[in-house]
Amino acid sequence: MSQSDAPAAGERPVYSISAVARMLDIPVATLRTWEDRYGQVAPARNASGHRLYTRHQVEQLKFIRAQMSEGASVADAHRVLAERIETGEPLAGAAPQPGPRLLIQLAESDPYAAEFEEYFLKTEGFEVEVTLSESAAREAFTAVAPAVVIVEVLISGGTGLELCRLFREQDGTAIVVVSAVEAMDAAIEAGADAFLRKPIDPLQLVSTVRDLLRSSALMAGRSSR
Amino acid sequence: MSDDRLRSGHQPLDDVLGGGLPGNGISIIMGLPGTGKTIIAEQYTFHNARPDRPAVYFSTLSEPLGKIIRFGQTLDFFDAAAVGRSVFYEDLGQVAGRGGLAGVGDHVAAVLKDRRPGLVVIDSFKALRVLADSDAGFRQFLHQLAGRLSAFPAASLWVGEYESAEAATSPEFAVADAIVELAAIPLGQREHRFLHVRKLRGSGFLAGQHGYRLTAQGLRLFPRLADIPAAGGYPLGGQRITTGIAALDQMLGGGLWPGSATMIAGPSGSGKTIMGLHFIYGGAQRGEPGVIATLQENPTQLTRMLGGLGWPLTHPAVEVMYRSPVDIHIDEWVHDLLHAVEGAQASRVVIDSLMDLQMAAVDDTRFREFMYSLAQRFSRQGISLLITFETSDLFSTSRLTQFAVSHLADNTIVLNYHRDHRAMSRSLAVIKTRASNHHPAIRQFSIGPDGISLEDTAIPEDDVNHGPG
Repeated sequence: MSQSDAPAAGERPVYSISAVARMLDIPVATLRTWEDRYGQVAPARNASGHRLYTRHQVEQLKFIRAQMSEGASVADAHRVLAERIETGEPLAGAAPQPGPRLLIQLAESDPYAAEFEEYFLKTEGFEVEVTLSESAAREAFTAVAPAVVIVEVLISGGTGLELCRLFREQDGTAIVVVSAVEAMDAAIEAGADAFLRKPIDPLQLVSTVRDLLRSSALMAGRSSR
Repeated sequence: MSDDRLRSGHQPLDDVLGGGLPGNGISIIMGLPGTGKTIIAEQYTFHNARPDRPAVYFSTLSEPLGKIIRFGQTLDFFDAAAVGRSVFYEDLGQVAGRGGLAGVGDHVAAVLKDRRPGLVVIDSFKALRVLADSDAGFRQFLHQLAGRLSAFPAASLWVGEYESAEAATSPEFAVADAIVELAAIPLGQREHRFLHVRKLRGSGFLAGQHGYRLTAQGLRLFPRLADIPAAGGYPLGGQRITTGIAALDQMLGGGLWPGSATMIAGPSGSGKTIMGLHFIYGGAQRGEPGVIATLQENPTQLTRMLGGLGWPLTHPAVEVMYRSPVDIHIDEWVHDLLHAVEGAQASRVVIDSLMDLQMAAVDDTRFREFMYSLAQRFSRQGISLLITFETSDLFSTSRLTQFAVSHLADNTIVLNYHRDHRAMSRSLAVIKTRASNHHPAIRQFSIGPDGISLEDTAIPEDDVNHGPG
């Protein structure tokens, strides 16, 4: 645990490019172009070449988008970002969005982990539906239509990634895959928006769910237009 | 996975643990009362506690919380300002009194949720066992607690006054990711303390017993010296170096090879220490720094001896490390020696004497292994070692082989008393050299104002090694 050498929660690659595109309402192709052209926000790549963004990088992209919405050119926005990074000046965070109580579904294999995840999400004002088997998870997913589903790879002996693929087909729900083993690549292949390694840091769990919900809210806003 | 370890803040301990204890695992610190379990737990507590990832220290039924805190304050690293901010002390004993083991499990879970700690200490864990009405009940409690702790990103230390044998029978050892044992072994009138890593999942560690002391700075560890044998022995090469005595260099075929180990054996008063001083000062005069590690002569005695020979104790190229043989711990001693050698950038080392060191060792096998490792390490670094060895039997060298000296030394020089018709005089013989042709004669020598001078004449073999009368 001695965290001195460990990357801080915001510096771990967590999000797929499609999740970031949805969160920020910036097309995937645009994110790639910016990365090529300015090299400012350069996500890590996994073994299969998929981009994986950290929370800090999402914040940086959010900052660029905010600058552009205030009239800056894309090049200027990147320039301002570079200055901010150099001077260490904080990027202004987006105000938290008050909203209806959103429902998070847990598809966990470990009841103790579920106990903590449920507690930390509820503390942050979310409603939580706990399921501890594949069949219960499938049923609940249809019945409660969660905004975010958290899927443990080892649920029901190891059907988590299958569940992830199934949930992905039904668009609109953000998916976080969790596991004690490093399964980031497999999770992204299966369509997950984010992957978290267990044991999960409470703050990271909550911030990941919040980030993904912002993308859902954007999408909901757009479809209702 | 160096980023996933719980560090102690004491580098030698982290090194022995291959980087540290498991960062998200359960570690048992076991040992009988008085071995320093609580000290080591407090060390981890204060080193790792941060306001956003605090440490929670639970006392149980063995020691009152107030006593643990009061004692903690005597330690240098205890930071009163951190208590209540990043270090929280809680009494699980009261919780146990009200709700039994189930209450303990629930309370720990509640604290994990509430405080979100990075480290959880339970001291003593063993004392919780009495709360179980059956073995099955205790196992169920363990399973649940281990499940909860594993689901949360925190390290936990379970401290207990377990005896060695309990590690095989008590169920808590099966769920532990690491087991560190502290032990005290009586040695004559003294006690030697040892730390021993019995289990460490997912990581290599330094096996064996490592000596330690308990100080106000916490546990100070001296990792066991266990060097792997260098392939092909010590590197031969470079130029031979002088023993500091020209005639002896000739007998050795031109001097000693750098990086070699030389044993000077002989009875008390035969001139072993003086020969060691020749070796060091002969080198120092040629700009080769040396360290005299003595357990025999204290600085006053050494100054007197050197004064007679016209050498100063405070020579810029000579470092003297004196330790009383009465209270040394060989692991600590070697730690100090390596430090002195490094500091002086020494290329010559004298150890005076081997017997004094051996008295400080717990057992002979361990001691031979230790000396062998030390000689190997110096050899690899091209540091030439000279060791004095006292033979108690005035006219015999039979103990040399008993001690398996051939294993340790590249060269062996035996000093002895020689009886002629009127008086006793001293003699010297080179009985073994590695990678050299030595002169096999036994030479008479005297000790005068210039130190050792070899006589020109050889002594017939028959006159040596026989007692007077």
